[in-house]
Amino acid sequence: MTAEAKLAPIRKGLLEFLVLKIVGARSVYVPDILRRLAGTEFATQEGTLYPLLSKLRREDLVLYEWQESESGPPRKYYRLTAAGKAQLAALDEYWILINRTIADIGT
Amino acid sequence: MQRISVTVILNRSTLQFDAAAYERVERYLAEARHTLADNPDQAEIVADLEQAVADQCTRRLAAGSTIVTLAELQPALDEIGSVQVPGSSTSSERAARPLQQVSEGAMISGVCQGLARYFGLDVSLLRIAAVLLLLATGGGMILVYLALMLLMPYAPLERSGKPVRKIPAKSRSFVEFVRAKLGVAAA
Repeated sequence: MTAEAKLAPIRKGLLEFLVLKIVGARSVYVPDILRRLAGTEFATQEGTLYPLLSKLRREDLVLYEWQESESGPPRKYYRLTAAGKAQLAALDEYWILINRTIADIGT
Repeated sequence: MQRISVTVILNRSTLQFDAAAYERVERYLAEARHTLADNPDQAEIVADLEQAVADQCTRRLAAGSTIVTLAELQPALDEIGSVQVPGSSTSSERAARPLQQVSEGAMISGVCQGLARYFGLDVSLLRIAAVLLLLATGGGMILVYLALMLLMPYAPLERSGKPVRKIPAKSRSFVEFVRAKLGVAAA
């Protein structure tokens, strides 16, 4: 198994965490999320993002509101729920913890 | 007379599509619905995707043109990407699966599909190569195919896969019958 093949599932697992982070920073609609991730290791597509956001909404971590736009139909703006904020804080904390562990181990 | 365009309602937008683009978008959405068959939010996600297609096509239409063709639709669909269900295996993970025959969507028994999956190749390429080899070997390729059919195990049938056509289903039961006979003979 190549390094890339091992990294792919890690990136995939982390995408949800990153989406929570982006939605947590401010209320966004899907193209904002795509733009934020474009050019990073986590660049993704609508075909991936919509099902992921619907899963997060079912888990009651995000919610959306319709907002009118100057051009075209209204847009869904996503933001975190209280449960979403709590989970993001927990993930953030855990991420820092495992980073420290990875840095410390084997040295 | 020629049918020039179809009026398509994609979620909250109405657009004109030419026949080819209409067929393509219909196929894309059918695939999305199929992938999301078990998802309780299927309708909502498909509506989101419809809106994404509409927005992308509108953005790509040159000023003055009103009919969406494949020239706008294909890059739009490429950018949107096929529907990925969170937590399901990706194509790269699937490629790591063992060498097995795949009955769903097979032409004969699923040998080419199995080889394609194992080596991460396009199944059409393998099928063309198989037919060319069949012609080049004057039919000798049939023996190779039969040998592979008997030797390669069958992948378990997947509920989400394409339907198994009549011939692959028959080949599969034939091979299982022969294997059972051989197993009895060896025992």
